[in-house]
Amino acid sequence: MKSKFFFLVVLLLSIGILAIASPLKIGFIFVGPVNDHGWTQAHYDGGVVALKKAFNNQVQITYIENVPEGAPSLNVLNTLASKGYNLIYTTSFGYMNQVVQAAKRHPDVIFEMCSGYELAHNLGEYFGRMYEPRYLSGLIAGVMTKSGKVGYVAAYPTPEVVRGINAFTLGVRAVNPRAIVHVVWTYSWYNPPVEKEAALSLIDSGCDVIAQHQDSPAAIQAAQSKGVYAIGYDSIMEKFGPDAYLTAPIWDWSKFYVPDVKSVLNGTWKSRFYWKGMETGIVKLAPMSKLVPISVQKLVMAMENEIKTGNFHVFEGPIYDQNGKLRIQSGKIMSDNELLSMQWFVNGVVGKIPQSK
Amino acid sequence: MSDIVLKLSGIVKSFPGVLANDHVNFTLKKGEVHALLGENGAGKTTLMNITFGIYRQDEGEIYINGERAEITSPHRAMEYGIGMIQQHFSLVPSFSVAENIALGLKGSKISPKVDLVRKKVKDLAERFGLNVNPDSRIWQLSAGEQQRVEILKLLYMNAQIMILDEPTAILTPQEATNLFKTIKEMVKYGASVIFISHKLKEVLEVSDRITVMRHGKVIDTLKKDEVSERILAKKMVGRDVVLKILKKPSAPKKVELEVKDLWSRGDKGIYAVRGVSLEVKSGEILGIAGVAGNGQRELAESIYGLRKYTGEVKIEGETMRPLSVVSRMKSGVAYIPQDRKEVALCGGLPIYYNLFLKKPFRVPEFYLNPYLFNSSRLKRPSEQLVNEYLISTSSLNLEVKYLSGGNMQKVVLARELSLNPKLIIAVHPTRGLDVGAIEFVYKILLKARDNGTAILLVAGDLEEIFTLSDRVAVLYEGEIIGYSKPDESHLEEIGLMMAGVRKVKK
Amino acid sequence: MRLKIEKRNESASTLSVLSMSVLSVVVSLVILGFIILSLGKNPIDAYIQLVSWPFGTIAGLTQSLISMTPLLFTSLGLVLAFKMKLWNIGAEGQFYMGAFGATWGALFLFNHISNPWIMLPLIALLGAGVGAGWGTLAGVMKARLGVNEILSTLMLNYVAIYWVNYLVYGPWRDPASYNFPITAEFPKAAILPQYTANGINLGMFLAIAASFFVYYLLKWTRFGFEIDISGDNPKAAEYAGINVKKMIVIVMAVSGALSGLGGMMQMSGVLFRLQPNFSPGYGYTAIIIVLLARLNPFVTVVVAFLFGGLIVGTQQIQLFLQIPFSLVNAFQGLLLFSFVAGEALLHYKLRWLKA
Repeated sequence: MKSKFFFLVVLLLSIGILAIASPLKIGFIFVGPVNDHGWTQAHYDGGVVALKKAFNNQVQITYIENVPEGAPSLNVLNTLASKGYNLIYTTSFGYMNQVVQAAKRHPDVIFEMCSGYELAHNLGEYFGRMYEPRYLSGLIAGVMTKSGKVGYVAAYPTPEVVRGINAFTLGVRAVNPRAIVHVVWTYSWYNPPVEKEAALSLIDSGCDVIAQHQDSPAAIQAAQSKGVYAIGYDSIMEKFGPDAYLTAPIWDWSKFYVPDVKSVLNGTWKSRFYWKGMETGIVKLAPMSKLVPISVQKLVMAMENEIKTGNFHVFEGPIYDQNGKLRIQSGKIMSDNELLSMQWFVNGVVGKIPQSK
Repeated sequence: MSDIVLKLSGIVKSFPGVLANDHVNFTLKKGEVHALLGENGAGKTTLMNITFGIYRQDEGEIYINGERAEITSPHRAMEYGIGMIQQHFSLVPSFSVAENIALGLKGSKISPKVDLVRKKVKDLAERFGLNVNPDSRIWQLSAGEQQRVEILKLLYMNAQIMILDEPTAILTPQEATNLFKTIKEMVKYGASVIFISHKLKEVLEVSDRITVMRHGKVIDTLKKDEVSERILAKKMVGRDVVLKILKKPSAPKKVELEVKDLWSRGDKGIYAVRGVSLEVKSGEILGIAGVAGNGQRELAESIYGLRKYTGEVKIEGETMRPLSVVSRMKSGVAYIPQDRKEVALCGGLPIYYNLFLKKPFRVPEFYLNPYLFNSSRLKRPSEQLVNEYLISTSSLNLEVKYLSGGNMQKVVLARELSLNPKLIIAVHPTRGLDVGAIEFVYKILLKARDNGTAILLVAGDLEEIFTLSDRVAVLYEGEIIGYSKPDESHLEEIGLMMAGVRKVKK
Repeated sequence: MRLKIEKRNESASTLSVLSMSVLSVVVSLVILGFIILSLGKNPIDAYIQLVSWPFGTIAGLTQSLISMTPLLFTSLGLVLAFKMKLWNIGAEGQFYMGAFGATWGALFLFNHISNPWIMLPLIALLGAGVGAGWGTLAGVMKARLGVNEILSTLMLNYVAIYWVNYLVYGPWRDPASYNFPITAEFPKAAILPQYTANGINLGMFLAIAASFFVYYLLKWTRFGFEIDISGDNPKAAEYAGINVKKMIVIVMAVSGALSGLGGMMQMSGVLFRLQPNFSPGYGYTAIIIVLLARLNPFVTVVVAFLFGGLIVGTQQIQLFLQIPFSLVNAFQGLLLFSFVAGEALLHYKLRWLKA
């Protein structure tokens, strides 16, 4: 009896040790290059780099960059899953279709999908409320514009981008009620020459502050060359336009990745839609440059505090759309579902969203 | 000897299958206009391309101002003061006249001083009567104006020896007159000009001396005062006896081909055939004589349905639709075009493909299911043809481009004649062939005639016309200027008609 | 001493042509190895990764075969066009238009049909038809107006890609997807039979069947014979009574139809819904494939399979050696270069001349 019991204990112990000793294998799939100074680099720094620092030998991490959306991403997902990776992060909406398929095929692998909407028992979604710091950057743009025209270089008319433009515009109009925001679509997340052309066309039409939802600093370089102000995105882009750069709404993905991996490690992970704002630090406004007057900086910091504490909501009514129609009643706050499928522009935006049937 | 600026001595140049220049001697004196006269393919352009450094001669020497010169490239030629205006201009269409001229200058590679050039160009243009605006873009200019730019280029570079290759081919008569004036002006300033042409009148008008070439050889060099159109024509088309083939008298029967008032434009959009009417009967060969470029190609292509035309073409009394090769093929028309490589053969395909380019599906006795057909089925019948027409090849799979010129023509003949045609259109069927191959072609064509085929033969070579045809028509500037008989006694008459002199109706 | 380039006087033998293809692959692999070495990685490891997974494991093999399918369809389309020396660079656009046609049929025109054996042929026809139309457009422009097909097909690629983008971002957006740029999923009837859990589907077999069809067309029909003639010398074709203009249009149509069919198979077999940027440039990779395969439809199958494996394999190198993705593109570029160099060596020879 005793020897049998002892044997069992040893067996259990060795399984336990094995389980602890074999590191969690994590894979990242990136849509761009990890040194893009933008979206992918933010995920790389907050994911690969931060996780290695935080967990050392407990995790083993690989990543693959520039993965085309569509069938090739399905290959990569399947490879990672069948090679023993237990946790796979995908960082572009374009992979969603394939992630859903892979999650069905590999039910024991955890998939995390950034900026999509599909959920499964082993598929979680994560994202940040970037519209909050975008609102703050809008406040700055509203103060800094002299012509009352602000330009916005935008990638695709997805709800995420539309939401950002709207939050930004609400910020601009909060301090400068007559200002308008011109939107140009580039139909590309990362295409520096096209982004630069778009920015230049906005500047030529009189915009003197350029904001962007793009993954390269090309718009800032354009603003620098033409002597107007610019607001970046994704990362601190000051060095690309020291005389133009005001600030940038930026990501700090480590605020999500580190706790998420911890929950997987201690077995408490559950599928959910993670969508948090500035209170967690996943999104924030980068330090404002010295071009922004101190008084404005103070105002922005005060507003930041209001948002973090939940006293102020960016999308709280009354909000009017482009045609002047009241969309959100006074005192009402938009629901997450409404925000996630936002497909209309607030009053003050000059631009069009292609409409679905 | 000091007045001889250029001397070519014993120049030999051969291309595969053709001896283009055969021990040619030529001299150019200072301040003279020296015409090189001869038919297309006589070797004029080759000789001048050697002088200008585009080709290297196989044998012979070039002397400039009495000193031996090694002209290895056009660049070197220009250093020797030789300039050439080729039939195809070398101008940049999007540049202005002045820029084009500046482009050719040495020592100004980085930033040509266009302003300086423009001023000098204006002076030159005025002095030599070359009316061109130095600021116009080349693409805006007519062909004649572009030619003036080329001349300006030579003048600007101070070329002492100027070669003009068929300069009047692209000019209107008025423009040509102006060109002659310019040439005389240039000579006054000390330049020497070589003028290539096959047109007798203008040669007599512009030149001081005339060298006649034929079949790669210099026939004679004459002073202008010593000659007349008549003498020149005779020398130019002359007659070298290569072959003598005896033929039976013809027995023409019903009319196979009838052409009525056919008009057709050349590639440059100008009418090349101007109202030709003719008839060819079965069992006879009608020879079309004429200096090349007088509408022969356009006439043949129109009849075969490759070129648009107005007028009427009837085969066995049936009117053909323009631009329909298929209807000709169905009516039994065979065509041996002058550019056999470019038009009649697929160089990159094996011999057995080429032997049945037209045949496998369209001829009833050779009908094959178009949906169940493999090209290897053509090999057996191809073998027969290769044997019958003595095509020498290592394999049926050999791509045609690796065959000699004579064997290529045999492939064409084998294909065309194996269709048992009622009418053969043959254009320069022996051009570029050696004597053996020529004899073969002659025999094949005569045999077809004796079997009752009608043949329309276009040839530049009078000897060929005389050997084969039963009647001769002379084509001049797109019109049939007259008919004659194919024998020695009418040589002079035909030569004159080829030069554009109408036969006096007796 | 100077180097002279001379044309060879005879055509290259089949053996030398074949070995030149293999050699160009080897040369580019060696150069790739040096690049990998310069990145501080072990090229031997890379070669092992490149080959072992896509060709040595069931999962990898499956992925290679799935990657092969769209490559094979687009390549076969190009084989026909290139045989006639029509440089159709537009397989990519024709592939997109095929996917567009299939989606149109599956989601909008025939969405009430629930029998897959009616639905699938219908959307296959529609995909092939729209692809054919896209090819025809370039064909007609060349035949009627003399527009260079390289330019027109290349430009039409952009039109096709932006057209699909427009639909997916605009009118065809699935309302159930929070306005994200993606269409609704295909109905069950519009999905190709799937044979394994990891995605082997009917499309792959149809692609191989298509290679037989192309072979038949080229070798066993009058049409194929006339393609040979028109491709080698269009003037001689006119002279032989072939309507070359008509041939140009037809060949471009068939070429586009095959690429379009590939787009349909990709939708119905692998992706199940239209999304932006769903092709990583299959239509361009196909150009390299058919050149390496010397326009032989059966060799094309092999080369397309190897390329499918290559794509999967380079993902492996990237994943497990952390080598940048740009190397994949670099490798394809190297292949093309060494192929062109090999081609020149086949037709020309170098000779040292004493000055």
